[in-house]
Amino acid sequence: MTAIDFDQIQRPGSLSAATVTPCRESLLQDALTQKAIAACGVSMIYQTGTQAFHALKNVSLTINAGDVQLLMGPSGSGKTTLLSILAGILTPTEGRVCLLGEDITRMSSRQLAEFRLTNLGFVFQGFNLFPALTALENVEVALHLKGIKRQAARRQAMELLEQVDLGNKANNLPRDLSGGQKQRVAIARALAGNPKLIMADEPTAALDSQNGHAVIQLLRDLAKEGGRTVLIVTHDPRIVEVADRVIHLEDGILQS
Amino acid sequence: MASIARKNLFEDIPRFLVAQAGIMFAVSLVTIQLGILKGFSRSTAIVVDHTTADLWVTSQEMVYFELTSALPADYLTQAEKVSGVDRAEVLLLRSGRWRDANGKLAPVRIFGFNPDGQLFAGWKILQGKIEDLKQPYTVMLDQDSRRSLGLQQLRDQGSIGFLPATVVGFLDDVQSNASSPFLFASLETANAYGTAELSSSITCTRQSNGELNCTNRFQNRPLGQKIGEIQPPARLNLGDPITYILIRAKPGENLDLLKQRLRDALPGTEAYTRKEMAALTRNYWEERTGVGFILGLGATVGFIVGMVVVGQILYSSVADHIREFGTLKAMGASNWVIYRVIIEQALWMSILGYVPSILLCVGLGHWTQAAKGVMILIEPTTAAGVLVLTVVMCVGSALFAVQKVTRVDPAIVFKA
Ligand SMILES: Nc1ncnc2c1ncn2[C@@H]1O[C@H](COP(=O)(O)OP(=O)(O)O)[C@@H](O)[C@H]1O
Ligand SMILES: [Mg+2]
Repeated sequence: MTAIDFDQIQRPGSLSAATVTPCRESLLQDALTQKAIAACGVSMIYQTGTQAFHALKNVSLTINAGDVQLLMGPSGSGKTTLLSILAGILTPTEGRVCLLGEDITRMSSRQLAEFRLTNLGFVFQGFNLFPALTALENVEVALHLKGIKRQAARRQAMELLEQVDLGNKANNLPRDLSGGQKQRVAIARALAGNPKLIMADEPTAALDSQNGHAVIQLLRDLAKEGGRTVLIVTHDPRIVEVADRVIHLEDGILQS
Repeated sequence: MASIARKNLFEDIPRFLVAQAGIMFAVSLVTIQLGILKGFSRSTAIVVDHTTADLWVTSQEMVYFELTSALPADYLTQAEKVSGVDRAEVLLLRSGRWRDANGKLAPVRIFGFNPDGQLFAGWKILQGKIEDLKQPYTVMLDQDSRRSLGLQQLRDQGSIGFLPATVVGFLDDVQSNASSPFLFASLETANAYGTAELSSSITCTRQSNGELNCTNRFQNRPLGQKIGEIQPPARLNLGDPITYILIRAKPGENLDLLKQRLRDALPGTEAYTRKEMAALTRNYWEERTGVGFILGLGATVGFIVGMVVVGQILYSSVADHIREFGTLKAMGASNWVIYRVIIEQALWMSILGYVPSILLCVGLGHWTQAAKGVMILIEPTTAAGVLVLTVVMCVGSALFAVQKVTRVDPAIVFKA
């Protein structure tokens, strides 16, 4: 995490000056082009009925390419919200997000989907594997989505499973795999198509500590091998040791 | 991506089977209704189809093949003189009451034709020979009409009015499902049957006081004929009304022009080609009666039931897999990728529902034909039509399920 001095930057906004750190285009541009992930003045307000909930308050951050970055914070602090915004899955109420030098907050939803497909891999707390597909097929589907066809997809999927040490479980259905194995399949799937960014939301939460640690170690090693940038959301303190950097979120506010 | 659709489908076998049963029910309902409509419609003019006549001449008043009024018999000789006519034959259509061996009555339609003729010919004969009809008071009929006339085999007998009738042959595929049983007989026999009801006579005597005393007597034999004494049928004479004149045109004759010449030569008549006559009759039964509508309604209900069943199943399947579809969207899949999965699932369901249903209906059709004389006609065009309907039905309801996915928030993927 590199701190950018956003303080002197002026930006007209609908929110009050107290809650918004203004952010100027030119400065942003400079900072963003060299960063894998950058967010500037991101706020998120959830509107449920008449209630407005301020889940993120003026979050600005940058993440260096090739880093394994941890995002920590207590439950309900807004970690998943922030991750969703940084991944282009959720549109922030306010603020800008740049990934790999491109401003994703200006993209259409179609462009965003396209961008996620080429540049992002996901690992989820609940694994989100297709229960009817084998481990191999789960990875293949991701490759198919990225335009890799039949034979090539099958071969690459097998290689990816071997990288996560599951070559011998290729034909197992998710229900026949342990939690740790499932998450390794998910990691293989996230690596499919060689994306530059990996985003993981609580990847160890459903695993025991031993498996959790192994999974994180694997994720780190594979990311480092490929020079990928990894953002891991967690509240598991034992993961801290594998991270290059750690940032903390509390009540929607980034702690420095 | 192919495997997701198929595997999602087979993932839950009991649910899959319930779905397929529902689809099969719907497809069978549609097929049976359409097949009965087709079979029914075909049967109403099957007699016309079988004949080899180029043209049918009848009264202008004809409503359909079985409902027309009479022509004078001398129109036959006039028709023969019209240029372009190669051959003309008389066809009689009479109604009668059939009394079987046990005295049970049934209405019948009696066709009278020349057994040596060439135009009212082309029957599928299962038993007997057409020439046998030359014997007086003999008839042939569709094998499927046997039961309603209390008949079983050749030489079985019944009567029409005061005349006997002996079965000398069975035909296949001539009976209209919309009509009373058809009997086929020689011109003479048919003509005799047409007038073989009770005859009546009035005898009056003047009494001494000058009043007339009249007695009206009915008897079930022709006047002047003793009980038990049966004369052979009389030849058709010029005074007898006839129903149709069947025409064969000379080779290469323009039928439209010939029709015009026949109309001119025979006042009060209309001439129809065989196809026109058949189409007119089928149209009558399909449209002027409610049959087409009712069977069409049944088919529509089947279609809707199928749509609802498939929609329901696909919708719940999509709901079950919503997180995976969300995952695909999060990964960057376009909505189309997901639509393809769901539509492919619908296509699988339609094919796997269609094939057994059609086989089932074909089997059922064999049974109804054999047991009830009701044809479920599944022509290739009907089968193809039902396939298209099935696909439309399944894909249509898939579109209903798709909207659930379109609205899915990819953010749900992060929910534990
Ligand atoms: N879709 C939503 N609508 C309303 N409130 C939400 C929604 N998603 C999250 N929140 C709220 O925002 C806050 C932050 O949620 P989240 O980002 O999931 O936190 P974390 O991942 O740190 O546990 C929580 O209080 C949660 O209740
Ligand atoms: Mg969370």
